[in-house]
Amino acid sequence: MDTMDCRQARNLLSDFQDGTMEAAAATGLAAHLRGCGECASADASLHAVRELLRELPPDPAPPELFASVLAAVEAEDGNARPGSTPGGADGTRPFLSRFRVLLEASVAVLLVASVYWYQRTPAPVSHSTSVLSSNLSPEAGTVSSSRPMAAKEDAAKSSPSVIRLPRETPKEAKEEVPAAPRPRTWTAESLPSVPALRASTDSERIVPVAPSRLLRPLPYGRDIVVDVNPERSEGAEERIAEAASRLGGIVERIERESDSERNGAAGTIRVILPDAAAAGFIEELRRIGNVPKEYLPSEIDIPAGPRPGTVAYAVRIRVR
Amino acid sequence: MGRPGGKGRPVDLLVERFRKGAPGAFEAIVRAHQDRVYSFCARMLSDREDALDAAQEVFLSAWRNLSEFRGEAALSTWLLRIAANRCLNRIRRRKSLSVHEAPWPELSGETDDAIIFQPAGGEADRPDRLAENCEMGEILTKALSRIDPGSRWMVLLSDVEGFSYEEIATLADVPVGTVKSRLHRARMAMRRLLSPVA
Repeated sequence: MDTMDCRQARNLLSDFQDGTMEAAAATGLAAHLRGCGECASADASLHAVRELLRELPPDPAPPELFASVLAAVEAEDGNARPGSTPGGADGTRPFLSRFRVLLEASVAVLLVASVYWYQRTPAPVSHSTSVLSSNLSPEAGTVSSSRPMAAKEDAAKSSPSVIRLPRETPKEAKEEVPAAPRPRTWTAESLPSVPALRASTDSERIVPVAPSRLLRPLPYGRDIVVDVNPERSEGAEERIAEAASRLGGIVERIERESDSERNGAAGTIRVILPDAAAAGFIEELRRIGNVPKEYLPSEIDIPAGPRPGTVAYAVRIRVR
Repeated sequence: MGRPGGKGRPVDLLVERFRKGAPGAFEAIVRAHQDRVYSFCARMLSDREDALDAAQEVFLSAWRNLSEFRGEAALSTWLLRIAANRCLNRIRRRKSLSVHEAPWPELSGETDDAIIFQPAGGEADRPDRLAENCEMGEILTKALSRIDPGSRWMVLLSDVEGFSYEEIATLADVPVGTVKSRLHRARMAMRRLLSPVA
């Protein structure tokens, strides 16, 4: 028999779903729910809400949280008194691991710098070269590039009285160095290798293996080829530049090929346009010449320009 | 690996490693719990930057106090307790809730029109079907943001994180009955906000 009103019933729904009601009250509520559609609906929807909340997955934390936590801990760790143990038996140890990469990089830089300094130091007395060559063990003679310092240590052990590292005994080395600089006679094989850079033992200069990346052209921009008739090639660069300007773009530069380098190309115009004007620019190019099918806007992924909302093109004029 | 004095719960392996000074142990703790802690803070504070700051405070506090963690509860429970306190402190500090909080409906009223989701009726729109939709998480989060913060954290801890009423009562320093009644009102408010989804 239903002895409960709707207000009472709804106030008990959570307890009913938790199963924490007394048996008699639970029986009364169950009877009410069987006879009251609205309260039964409220019971069902409340149950659904709780289920949804239970299944609500955590949102992924932004990556900066991890970095900011470590930075905060590091700052506090730095301010803590030496040897303090804020969290564990040895609270400082876990954080040293964070610097492992930095420490390893520093050691590597120091090693390279010391090798370079070692090479720049004028050679010791001339007989040391021959002694070095003759006393090197076969293993040390074939110095592995991955263990240059180990090879040097081996060599030092084999003839400790002759081979000195200037860093260890700078005074003695200075005494042995003759007043006039002598040309080096060491062979390239006897020198430690220097990673990443090529060391010249003759001129004592470090020669970069490639020009600086800063000197290379900017990596943005899409090459577009425009084929123009020979009779219409005159002034094609200007017409393209004018079209870019008319569409709100800017012309970075016009590169005209010399006759010797022409190789079919009359020149290249580098432009930057608002991305909304990209399609119109292609249409302008098609009026000036023929844009090969592979460069049609629908078939290319228009690249981003140097700034948001811009596209960059290097339009190459091909006379044919 | 259980701790004497605890309730038989094995102490978190990462906590043990941290206490022993194992390299990377604390980083592993942060990685293991950052999603849960951040989510809780974000849902409590409804503000990404605030949530980031609060979550950072939680882990910093954990780092300071892990040596005192006795293992009576899981590490995640301990962290979420800290998070709840931090978030409530932040909410109290806010000068004007209108800057950060959408107004929440009166919990006692049954006639509010703050329904935030109005799908078309039908079998496909039942809550259990919609739960499979990735938008449901956002809808629930939005509804949660409109619940009184004083009850919101209880809903989050109880219904999302699975805390017991007793644990929440201890945290809130109120009787268990008060927790239950506040939770029930908050759930009913959620039900109305999500109507007719639920």
